Amino acid sequence: MTTRSQPLPFEQPSFQLFLQALMWVGVALGIGVLAVAWPAVPRAFPEAWNLGLRAPIDEFQRWVIANRATHPVFVFGFTPLSRGIDQALRLSEQMLLRPSWYVLLLIFGLFGYLAGGVRLSLFCAGSLLLAGLFGLWVPTMQTLALMLATLVLAILIGVPLGMAAAASNRLDRVLRPVLDAMQTIPAFVYLVPVLLFFGVARVPAVIATLIYALPPIIRLTNLGIRQSNQAAVEAAQAFGATRWQILRGVQLPLALPSILMGVNQTIMMALSMVVIAAMIGAGGLGREVLVALQRLNVGRALEAGLVIVCIAMLLDRLSAALTRIDFAAPVTTQRKDFLAHWPASALAARLPHDLAYYFQTYGRFINALLLCVVVVLVDVLVWGLGSFPSDWRWSLREPANFAVTWARDNLYFITGPLSDGIIYYLLNPSRDLLLNHLPWPAIILAIAAIAYASGGLRLALGTAAGLVMIGLLGMWAPAMETLSQVILMVLMTVLIAVPIGVVASQSPRFSAALRPILDILQTIPAFVYLVPVIMLFNIGRVPGLIAAVLYALPPGIRLTQLGIEMVPKVTVEAAESFGSSRLQTMIKVQIPQALPSIMLAINQIIIMVLAMVIIAGLVGGAGLGIEAVRGLARNETGRGIEAGLSIMILAIILDRITQAWARSKT
Amino acid sequence: MNESPPNVMPPKIVCRDVWKIFGRSPRRIFKALATESTPPAPPEGHIVAVRGVSFEVRPGETFVVMGLSGSGKSTLVRCISRITEPTHGEILVDGQDVLRMRPLELRELRRNRISMVFQHFGLFPHRRVIDNVAYGLEVRGVPRPKRRERAAQVLELVGLQGWEYHFPRQLSGGMQQRVGLARALAVDPDILLFDEPFSALDPLIRREMQEELQRLQATLHKTSIFITHDFTEALKLGDKVAVMRHGQIVQVGTPQELVLNPINDYVGAFVRDAPRGRVLTAQAVMTKCNPVPPPADRPTISAHTYLDDLLPLMAAYGDPVAVTDGNGFTIGHVDRAGVLKALIRE
Repeated sequence: MTTRSQPLPFEQPSFQLFLQALMWVGVALGIGVLAVAWPAVPRAFPEAWNLGLRAPIDEFQRWVIANRATHPVFVFGFTPLSRGIDQALRLSEQMLLRPSWYVLLLIFGLFGYLAGGVRLSLFCAGSLLLAGLFGLWVPTMQTLALMLATLVLAILIGVPLGMAAAASNRLDRVLRPVLDAMQTIPAFVYLVPVLLFFGVARVPAVIATLIYALPPIIRLTNLGIRQSNQAAVEAAQAFGATRWQILRGVQLPLALPSILMGVNQTIMMALSMVVIAAMIGAGGLGREVLVALQRLNVGRALEAGLVIVCIAMLLDRLSAALTRIDFAAPVTTQRKDFLAHWPASALAARLPHDLAYYFQTYGRFINALLLCVVVVLVDVLVWGLGSFPSDWRWSLREPANFAVTWARDNLYFITGPLSDGIIYYLLNPSRDLLLNHLPWPAIILAIAAIAYASGGLRLALGTAAGLVMIGLLGMWAPAMETLSQVILMVLMTVLIAVPIGVVASQSPRFSAALRPILDILQTIPAFVYLVPVIMLFNIGRVPGLIAAVLYALPPGIRLTQLGIEMVPKVTVEAAESFGSSRLQTMIKVQIPQALPSIMLAINQIIIMVLAMVIIAGLVGGAGLGIEAVRGLARNETGRGIEAGLSIMILAIILDRITQAWARSKT
Repeated sequence: MNESPPNVMPPKIVCRDVWKIFGRSPRRIFKALATESTPPAPPEGHIVAVRGVSFEVRPGETFVVMGLSGSGKSTLVRCISRITEPTHGEILVDGQDVLRMRPLELRELRRNRISMVFQHFGLFPHRRVIDNVAYGLEVRGVPRPKRRERAAQVLELVGLQGWEYHFPRQLSGGMQQRVGLARALAVDPDILLFDEPFSALDPLIRREMQEELQRLQATLHKTSIFITHDFTEALKLGDKVAVMRHGQIVQVGTPQELVLNPINDYVGAFVRDAPRGRVLTAQAVMTKCNPVPPPADRPTISAHTYLDDLLPLMAAYGDPVAVTDGNGFTIGHVDRAGVLKALIRE
């Protein structure tokens, strides 16, 4: 034992440990001293330091409005762009509104049948029928058209960008943080600037939806190409294929499932924007929900919300079916039904060998397309019944509104105290802590200390700078309000999600029962969560918070469960072979190994809760959300941008801190 | 294949002092390593995969590179068509330096003269068998009917007719590698590179494929470089075998030379398990004599007979058996003691 390469474990960190302890004591003392010694009033960020961005931004807005018709940036840049998008939107709207309603019913039913059999087919047709019965046929088609236009644009932009990012590491490095930011920042942030530059009615809605929905398709195209079978790529190289030949002939086809998954995610993200997009001029179902909520017509909001959920599930299942298409499936395993026989197989019998295979493999799809064309033609030439008959009605409004009144009158003994309890014992104290008890430097110091502990000095400095920036923007008070709500809701969500996830990982039966519920919860757009909660709790801060918890629960549960289930079986078996009880295995083996995944869950929860807390500004929440909403509603661009920037900074800070924390545990 | 006469044609492939170093600054490491006589360990993050390898392959010859995993053999074969870019060296194909080729020339080389068979088949999962086989012709720009016709021919050659319109993953491992082989043969290259083509297969299938390859080679006579980690396979398929270790070639020779004279303990360790009876020939163990006409009353055997095939004969007739050369003259005799001695491991 002359040389010892590794110091003994207790030797090395003691000094560091001491320093760390010293630092924490210092931070605690600093916060304490600041809290006590700071002059009692004012505790908020000094108003005098406000950068005063509001006036110049408003000035800029007036300039934009005045010069929109003449300035070259608009005449040659934004205006033609928005005109093009408007055209695309109009076109897809006409495609959906021109054919008779039952033709669409039939077509969607057919696609549902192709994608998932009779049940999905009935569900697809039933959803559209429901929309018609609710009197929401036209808004539904408008929303579908918006989705279609956004999706086409997203594919046109996203797939080439993803391909480029796969080809160039440098572009990938540049793009990655941008995409991260696009996914972390709540959509509210860019509503105002988008509105400023694309001032025409429905176009800003498409742009905002696009910004939000674009990242997954770029990412998954990139990922799909990068992860495409290396052996196949090498083989193509060895046969002297050019780079383009490899990309087009090998990598892109191999990446197709991944790209289609990106399409699916993009659709879901776009759908979650429908209500928010309605705030800047998108029509359709989103507008129905928005108007109904603003008028407190819960029944109407419920109907529109229900249709949105149905559309979301429909589009999700249909586009997810795309990723499952198995081109290599033998012809014999295909379903034998009316689609299997018809023209395609008749053709296949007459064609030469090599073509016949294609007609057999894609026969059902070809037949379905032919059927669609026939139905449309017959509709145009013969029937032409047009829009959904207006006297076919079935409404949930009356019963829903009645239920709301009833709940308000009769369930108040539960909801009243619950809501009051949340306000008086949770919301107000936490807000007071940040706004009235702690002076602003103490808060910045505390958050920077947390950032330092999870991610080091650079993160701490960035965090502090970001918080100061929020103060300089004049958004300190609303930001602290929002932050206090976020912290509270994250704690509540984690307290609920982690135990449920743990239980689900232990009991297959519970997990199986949970899965469909989580599936549905995850396909519901953020805004729709508000509808039933408002039915019970009226407007104010509470419904937003409860909706936030509900919204963030599914990914929390899923990631926790996944993390525990991903723990290698061997380690669990090893623990069991030493005779540890189930609880011991859980606590000593499974949870520690699942920690990175749980941290990731918390990160997701934070992002989702923040998004929801912001949205809740619309229904009487408080904080930055309401500032942004006011900025939009009153056309105060300066205020909207200040609030938006603050939301963005807050989102990035929270995301970075938790991500650094998750990484440090791996 | 082993009994082919000595090859005197100019070499088809020549490698001279080929190096491949992986890492951030391979050039610098190469200079440091190449100048010193006792090479130091490469710095952190660098791997010297191929270290100054030289060899020659004659036309129609099967050159086997045998080595354990991590010995650099796969890297070496990838250097030849520059799928992996060598750090240093000279690789001549038909006298032309591959490393000096411009991208276009290199592409022509890959398209027309060299093709490769991969360990995990490297098939395109999204293409039907026939389009996999036709791939080399497709990138060359051959029109579809023509390339499919050729692909169908080659598929028949490897015994896969009837599977043209299946997808690779509907085939068994052995059949998939037949597709890989057909794909390489479809472009009718001068040179075939095999990167452990049969390692992923079950032993029985592997033997079947080895025999298939021997059968094909007997008619096609393609110049081949064959990578394997299986010494028995190397002896079976190779006209010449190179044993690789730590990126260097330890010994090159015919299977017989390797088995009879392993250069060191490392090669010796492989030789110990070699099926000597399937490698050594009568010529190697006979006692020589001056060529005389063969005896009329006793059986004779050819000089290239393997010992395994000799044993039944010797059991039946006893000592000694005359060994004849190609002209039918007796050039020596083998006896039981000599054969048994050769078969026993030393």
